[in-house]
Amino acid sequence: MKIKFTLNKKKVTAEVESTERLIDLLRNKFQLMGTKEGCSIGECGACTILMDGKAVNSCLVLAEQIEGAEIITIEGIADGEQLHPIQENFIKAGAIQCGFCTPGMVVSSYELLNENPEPNEEEIKEAIAGNLCRCTGYKQIIDAVKISAEQLRDSK
Amino acid sequence: MIPEHKFINADNIEDVLRLLNENDNAKVIAGGTDIIPGFHIDSARFKEIELLIDINKIKDFNSIELADNHLSIGASSNFTQIINDPNVNKYFPLLVNAVSQIGSHQIRNRATIGGNFINNAPCADSVPALLIYNAVLEIKSIIETKEIPLSEFLLKQYQTALNTNEVVTRVKLPFLNENYSGKFYKLGRRRGVAISRISLAVLMKKSNGIIEDVRIAGGAVTPIGTRFTKIEDMMKGKAAKSDLFKEAAQKIGEQILELTGLRWSSIYKLPVVQQKIYQLLEEINLEMNSVNKNEN
Ligand code: FES
Ligand code: FES
Repeated sequence: MKIKFTLNKKKVTAEVESTERLIDLLRNKFQLMGTKEGCSIGECGACTILMDGKAVNSCLVLAEQIEGAEIITIEGIADGEQLHPIQENFIKAGAIQCGFCTPGMVVSSYELLNENPEPNEEEIKEAIAGNLCRCTGYKQIIDAVKISAEQLRDSK
Repeated sequence: MIPEHKFINADNIEDVLRLLNENDNAKVIAGGTDIIPGFHIDSARFKEIELLIDINKIKDFNSIELADNHLSIGASSNFTQIINDPNVNKYFPLLVNAVSQIGSHQIRNRATIGGNFINNAPCADSVPALLIYNAVLEIKSIIETKEIPLSEFLLKQYQTALNTNEVVTRVKLPFLNENYSGKFYKLGRRRGVAISRISLAVLMKKSNGIIEDVRIAGGAVTPIGTRFTKIEDMMKGKAAKSDLFKEAAQKIGEQILELTGLRWSSIYKLPVVQQKIYQLLEEINLEMNSVNKNEN
C-alpha cells in the first residue's frame, strides 16, 4: 500500500507492507538509524518518535497507520549538524553513557518542553517514565532536561 | 512479526459498519497498543485477524461531548485527550486519576479508552473507574444502535458481549447528582509501564452521617474488573463508621477469594486489598466530614 506523510518536515511517499511497523519503515526504508529498537512491545521507549507532535513508540504503530501524519525522528530534532540544545545538554550533563536510550529520551524531553516550558522534577520524571536507561541512573538525564528548560525559556 | 493482513483507513462510521458486516475476521484498530505488541509476541488472541479497520481518522469516534445528563466520550479518545479534557476533570476526576497512571506517556498518547476494555484484560485500569461511574456503552452495527452498561458488557477474561459485526462508538458517563466523593488507588510494580497488580475505585455519598450510596470496584484482583454490589447494598442506609468499613473490607476479601479461587498471589494481595479498601473508605469519609464542616 502506498502512503504519503511528512518525515522530518519533508513530504514523502512510501510503498509499505502490512507486516511493517513504523520503526521498520524509518530504519530500513529511510535509513534513519537514530530510532532504536529495544523491547519491541512498548516498554522501553528507545523507539520514541513524534507523531503529530506527540511522543509515540514507533514499535507500536503500523506503517499503514501514518498516512497523512507528521513524523519527526531524532534526526529531525537536530538542525543538520547543529545539535538541538537538549542534545547539547545531555552531553554536558553526562546523561549519555552507552547512548542506546538517548534518542528516545531526547524526543520525550522535546515533547515535554514544547508543551510545558517550565516542568517541575515530578513532571520531568513522568515524561520520561516510559524511557528506560540501564546506564545513567536517570539523575543526569533529569538534570539535562532541567538545564534545557531554563535555556530554552531564556532564548525565547 | 506482524502477520500479513488487509488494512483499511476508514473515514466514516458507515464504512466501518459495512466492513464489519461483510468480514467475520475483521478487527477495528485505533491506538494499536494492545494489538500490535500482541501480533509481535504471536498472541493467540489476535491470530484470526484478516482485516484491520483503522478508525483514527473518524472525528466522531474521538470527540468528548457534554450531553444533557451525561458526558459522552468517543471510544477512540486517547488517554492524553481524556487527561486534558476539562469536563472529564470536572465531573469524573477518578477516571482522570486512573488513566493518567496507565502505561507511559507514549502509550497514553496512543492508547484509547475503548481499547482499554474491549479486550477485557483483567488489568485494564480504566475499568474500575468506569464501573463506579456506571458507564454505559453505545454500540453500533449495520442493523442497530444499542446501549449496554459496561458491567454487562464484560463477560469473562478476554471476552465481551461485542458481536463481530459491532463496534463500540461511545462511552457515556451519567452525571452524578452532587455530594459524591471518591478515590482511585493503583499498586503496580514500578513507575511507568507497570501492568497493574491491584486497582481500586471507591465512590461514596452520605447525608447526616448515613451512607446513601457507595460504589466499590476492583481491577486486577478479580478475573475481570468487578463491582462489589452485594457489599455496597449491605452498607447503604448504615452509619458511615470504621466498624462498617472494616466489615465491608473483610467481605470484599471473601468475595475476591470466591471469584478467583485461591491463587498464589492471593496470600500477598488479599490483606493489601482489604487494608486499602478500608483506608480508602476512611479517607473519603474524613474528607467528606471536613468539607461539611467548612460549609457550616
Ligand atoms: S522498542 Fe518500542 S518501546 Fe521498546
Ligand atoms: S545511556 Fe545506556 S541505556 Fe541510557
